[in-house]
Parts: sequence; C-alpha cells; structure tokens
Amino acid sequence: MSIERIDPELCTGCGICVNSCPMDVIRMDEKGEKAIIKYPEECMCCDYCELDCPVDAIYVSPEKYAPLMVSWC
Amino acid sequence: MSQARVVETDVLVIGGGIAGCFAAIKAKEQGLDVTIVDKAYAGKSGSSIAAGGWWMVFNPEWGHDHDASMEDVTVNGEYLNNRDWDEIILKEAWATYRDLVSWGVEFPVASDKIEGYWDTYFTGPRAARAPNLPWGIVPLRHRKTSPVLRTQAEKVGIKIVDRIMITDLLKQDGKMVGAVGFSYDTGDLHVFKAKATITSGGNNCFRSPGFHTACLTGDAEAMAYRAGAEITGKEFPDTHFNLANYPAWKSNAELYAAYMYFTDAEGESINGTVGFDLFMEFAVHAGRGPVIWDLDAAAPGDVEAMREYVRKRANPVEAERIGLDYTRGGKYPCIGGSAAGVSSQQTSGVWVVDTKCATSLPGLYAAGDSCGARVCGASHRGPGFGVTGAAVTGKRAGLGAAEYALQAEKPVTDEKELARLKELIYAPAQRRSGFSPRWVTQVLQNTMIPYFILYIKHGERLQAALTIVEFMRDHLVPKLMAKDPHELRLTHETANMVLNAEMILRASLFRTESRGLHYREDYPRRDDPTWLAWTKVKKKQGRMNILKEPVPREWWPDLFKPYQQRYPERFPRE
Ligand SMILES: Cc1cc2nc3c(=O)[nH]c(=O)nc-3n(C[C@H](O)[C@H](O)[C@H](O)COP(=O)(O)OP(=O)(O)OC[C@H]3O[C@@H](n4cnc5c(N)ncnc54)[C@H](O)[C@@H]3O)c2cc1C
Ligand code: SF4
Ligand code: SF4
Repeated sequence: MSIERIDPELCTGCGICVNSCPMDVIRMDEKGEKAIIKYPEECMCCDYCELDCPVDAIYVSPEKYAPLMVSWC
Repeated sequence: MSQARVVETDVLVIGGGIAGCFAAIKAKEQGLDVTIVDKAYAGKSGSSIAAGGWWMVFNPEWGHDHDASMEDVTVNGEYLNNRDWDEIILKEAWATYRDLVSWGVEFPVASDKIEGYWDTYFTGPRAARAPNLPWGIVPLRHRKTSPVLRTQAEKVGIKIVDRIMITDLLKQDGKMVGAVGFSYDTGDLHVFKAKATITSGGNNCFRSPGFHTACLTGDAEAMAYRAGAEITGKEFPDTHFNLANYPAWKSNAELYAAYMYFTDAEGESINGTVGFDLFMEFAVHAGRGPVIWDLDAAAPGDVEAMREYVRKRANPVEAERIGLDYTRGGKYPCIGGSAAGVSSQQTSGVWVVDTKCATSLPGLYAAGDSCGARVCGASHRGPGFGVTGAAVTGKRAGLGAAEYALQAEKPVTDEKELARLKELIYAPAQRRSGFSPRWVTQVLQNTMIPYFILYIKHGERLQAALTIVEFMRDHLVPKLMAKDPHELRLTHETANMVLNAEMILRASLFRTESRGLHYREDYPRRDDPTWLAWTKVKKKQGRMNILKEPVPREWWPDLFKPYQQRYPERFPRE
C-alpha cells in the first residue's frame, strides 16, 4: 500500500495528520489518543501526513498497488 | 446520524483552495459575513496544496510585453481563449502576487532574485528548448502557499468549516441560496443558507495516481450541473504524465521544467512540452512507446540546475525515497494519465456569463479550476495560469458575489426541497444491497483512463465508452452502498465522477474536429469556422443536453491566412 505505518510509540496524538490528509485515511483512535490508519484504500501517496507530522511518526511507502478487478463487489 | 446543523451566512464559498480563499477574503473586504466550507481541510487540499510550481505575473517594468502575451495565449489556445479574461488576468496578476507577499508567503529564492528566476533556471543546452514566455514567473515552494491563504482568511474573520462533503446546491424560486452536505466524521447533515454562493471546488480527477488530487471528484461541476448550470470545456484533457515505475510520484509537477529530454522506446529523440500537449500519447499510439525521460542526455549545467530546483522547491522526501538521483542520469520510462479526468484548468468548468464570475444561475458564482472562464482556450498554457487564474477569478467571484449578496434578501429554504436533498444524501447508507463505491470507481477508471479513450479519441470508441458510462449511471450509481459516513463520501464522489465522465464523453463526441488538447482520429483537422465555438453541457428534462456557443467574430483568426499559419502545430494524419 502507501501509508504503511504510524508509530504509536512516537505519536503524541496532536491530530495534525488527520487534517493534512485530503483523503480521510487517518483518524484518531477511539480514545482520541493516537492517530490510526483507518481507511488505507483511499491513500493517494501524497506524503502530506508524513511531511506534517511534527515527530516523524508516519512512513509513506512510494509503492501503490491496484486492487484486483472483479466482476462485482 | 443526520441531525441537522444550520449555518447562515451572506456569502458561502464551497472549497477553500487558492480560488476559494481569495474569493472569501475579497467578499469579506466588502463588509459581509463569509463562510468557507471544505470537504477536507481548507488550505491543505485540492490542487492548490499540490501545486509546487509557478505563479504567473505580468509587469511591464520587468519587461513583459502585453501584445506578445495576448498573441501567445491566443495561438496556443487555438482561438478558443476568452480575450476579455486574458486581459483581466494580465492586468490583475501582479496584485495577486503582491497579496502573497503581504500575507507572508515564503518563496524559494530571495525577493531580489525573483525577477529573473525563470531565465536563470534554464541553463546550458536546455535554455534553447525552454519555453520563452512573454510574461513573468514567480517560483513557489512546495506546500507553502495555500496554508498561508487560510491563515489570512481566518485572520480577517472568515468562518471556516472543514471536513464537510457538500453534495448539492440549494435553490429557492430559481435563485441559489446555499448548499447542503454532511460530516463524514459524525454523519450529521449540514445546511448552509447564503445570500450568494461561490463554487470553487476544483476539478475532476478519476482518482488517477500521479497528481495528488484524488480528493477532487468534479463535485463542483456535478452539483452545478444538477442545479441547472452550464458546464464548458470538458473535451480538453490535462496531459500530465509520470514515471512508470512510480506512478504515484508527483514528479510531473516538481520536476516538469526538467522534462526537456525525451526519446521514444527506440532511443529516437522526441520534442515535447511539459504536460501541456499530446506528444507522448501520439508516440505511444504510433507504437513507439514507452516514451523515455532521458536524463543521460542532460548536460552538467542542467544537472546542477535540477539539483538546485529540487533542493529549493520540491518535496524532498519523494525523489530520495524512490532512488532518483539526477546527478547519475538514467533513463526513465514514462506513463500518461497522471491527472486523468482533469480538464484543462481555467478553460473547463461552470460557464460564467460575465467577468464577475456570475453563472447562468442567479446567486451562483464560480472561481478557480471549477470556473469555465476559457482563459487558456483549447490548450492549457502553463506554467502559472492555474494558480494565478485561480487567484484572479477568486477575487472577481468574491466581489461579484458580494455585490449580489448586498442587494439580496435573507435566504429562505424550501423544507420540501431540503427533505428531498437529505434523502438523496443518505440513500446509499440505507441500502442493504448494491455495489461498493470503490469497485464502481475502479470500473470507471478502467473505462475512461486508457489513452485511446481520453486522449487519442475516435467517435466509435467514445460511443463505446459512453454506452458503459450510461450503464453505470443507470444501474450502478443508483445502487451505491455506504457502510459508514466515510464510505458515504465515497458514494457521492463516485456518482460525481461518473457524471463528469459522461460530460467529457459527450463534449468529445460533439466536437467533430481536432483542436488543442482535443484530438479526434476521425476528424484530425481544425474545422474553422464551424468549431470556433465552445461546448456547453446542460441538463434538460433530466437528460444531458449539449450546446454550442460561438466565439465572437472579432476573436476569430484571419480565415484568409493559410491553415498552416493559423495553426503552427500539426496533428497526426491531418
Ligand atoms: C500537482 C500539481 C501541480 C500544479 N502546478 C502548478 C503550477 O506550477 N502553476 C500553476 O499555475 N498551476 C499549477 N497547478 C494547477 C493549480 O494548482 C490549480 O489550477 C489551482 O490550485 C486551482 O485552485 P482552486 O482553488 O480552483 O482549486 P483547488 O485547489 O483544487 O481547491 C478545491 C477545494 O475544494 C474542496 N472541495 C472539493 N469538492 C468539495 C465538496 N464537494 N465539498 C466541499 N469542498 C470541496 C477541496 O477539498 C479543495 O480544498 C498544479 C496542479 C497540480 C495538481
Ligand atoms: S501528526 Fe504525528 S504526532 Fe500528530 S497525531 Fe499524527 S502521527 Fe501522531
Ligand atoms: S500519504 Fe496522503 S493520502 Fe496517504 S494517508 Fe498520508 S496524507 Fe493521506
């Protein structure tokens, strides 16, 4: 995929990355303490979350795969 | 879910990119209450945050030539440019740059170096190939412009509502009185009642990989169309490209000035511009693909210039991570369709009837990429027209909308219409059977993005694609399902992309000639004067109707001039 990891050890829960992601890939966890990758399918590999995270907790891989094409879904 | 939140405002701005922020600031200056709503985070979304490149300016003191600029845009736009708008952009571009300076935008070079930046960027053998522009170019820093515009908007007291997906415009007695949407965090309904509404939601992209605008799904044009507005210019595709190994890398934007050396697969040199023509598609269609970006051909001076460029301007993470090192040369196969679905900026969009950005619907104004001002005509004249055009049309729309709002009455909304729109918003969340928006999007991508549909066109193939898109419209879109509010956003975006696809195909079928970025294999020549005209799609009795709007005669080329002189560029097989 694209966004690969948000390091929970490093994440301070500031929430910046949630707003930086135009695709709504990232949300805060249920307690509102850490950022989590909630909808990875929508990631467009823009790196914005990674560039904006003040503590370098995010890694975005440049690989992007396309889901398999099926007859309906 | 679906508890309604109501916001009342004088001027509502839908989409907070460069256009939306400029519009809002201008409307606010007129003493009005202004609200920006954005489906992501205003100032950090859309094309505006992705644009890494160039702000166009015009300043005679810097030696810029008015007549040469008008001639350049006209010849490049193949006579479909709106000259009134071009005059305005030239005249008002400088003030937009001064706005950036006064609001604290950081530039990659010192202010006394900006004037000659464009000329110094091109050195060595590349200088001879560099576009010779009669206007000026101000370099921008990656991701450093639109966030400052947001801050400025907040500073002057503009209300900003983020993370609300606007789905439709509100209409009352033939006038536009705001918009509706929902929060994809809570699922709540949001109703915006406004005296005037500005649509600045950017363009349409089929979630294509390489332009970092997968968030733009033609919502602005789709909702304006549904409300009865006219949409123009959909037949002219944007042709940015990318590296085959890294289709999601935004190299095209960061490095496009470095794209000076191309060969075909056999190593034969090809002359191409930087994503504003069809040279790559023509080569691939002739069986000469993939086209290669040949960095080995770069001279030492070029390599130095590219390194400088990347160091100062580009996103530093990307190039490094994919292992691209200009200093070592290399040959990189390219792929097209980076921005598939995008129609030429500042040409396509909601048709505006005057230079105040009014649309054919009273109370609705259009700005930026979703404004069909025909600034560049049949071919996009980068660099710089995108962002500067967004700023200038933004300011004009802000003023126009404010003028309208000042004499408009307090908006009243029809509860029945509101109930109808609410039902449409939540219908995908109620369905228990149907199709997933991700899969429908994938089918759409597979139908539209291949080069022989979107770029190298033929009536038969366009018709075939249209048949599929009509099936999607009638059988898949009405059955889109959403499991949660995030997916609800996807269903509406997917429906809007399908609608945009239909507009692109119908406009492309209608224009039975080739011109600029619109190439029809079955009509490979420009057809003057029949097609010295713009296309407009408009809803009529529930169906998509297509109209032709002639270019004013005084803007026509001299038809006594031989064809080859009127049009210096040749199409294959014309
Ligand atoms: C990678 C890239 C590089 C570029 N480089 C240059 C360059 O060097 N020079 C140049 O002149 N131009 C460039 N352009 C073009 C330029 O960026 C655009 O023309 C310009 O930014 C358009 O601004 P805008 O405000 O009209 O739209 P956008 O910036 O796209 O803003 C649209 C906004 O609307 C919001 N929105 C969309 N739909 C909805 C909805 N349904 N509800 C609520 N909000 C919504 C979006 O979230 C977004 O914030 C580039 C574009 C890209 C993508
Ligand atoms: S920006 Fe970084 S620190 Fe802040 S919430 Fe996101 S991952 Fe955590
Ligand atoms: S790379 Fe871009 S799309 Fe992907 S999660 Fe980060 S901000 Fe979102």
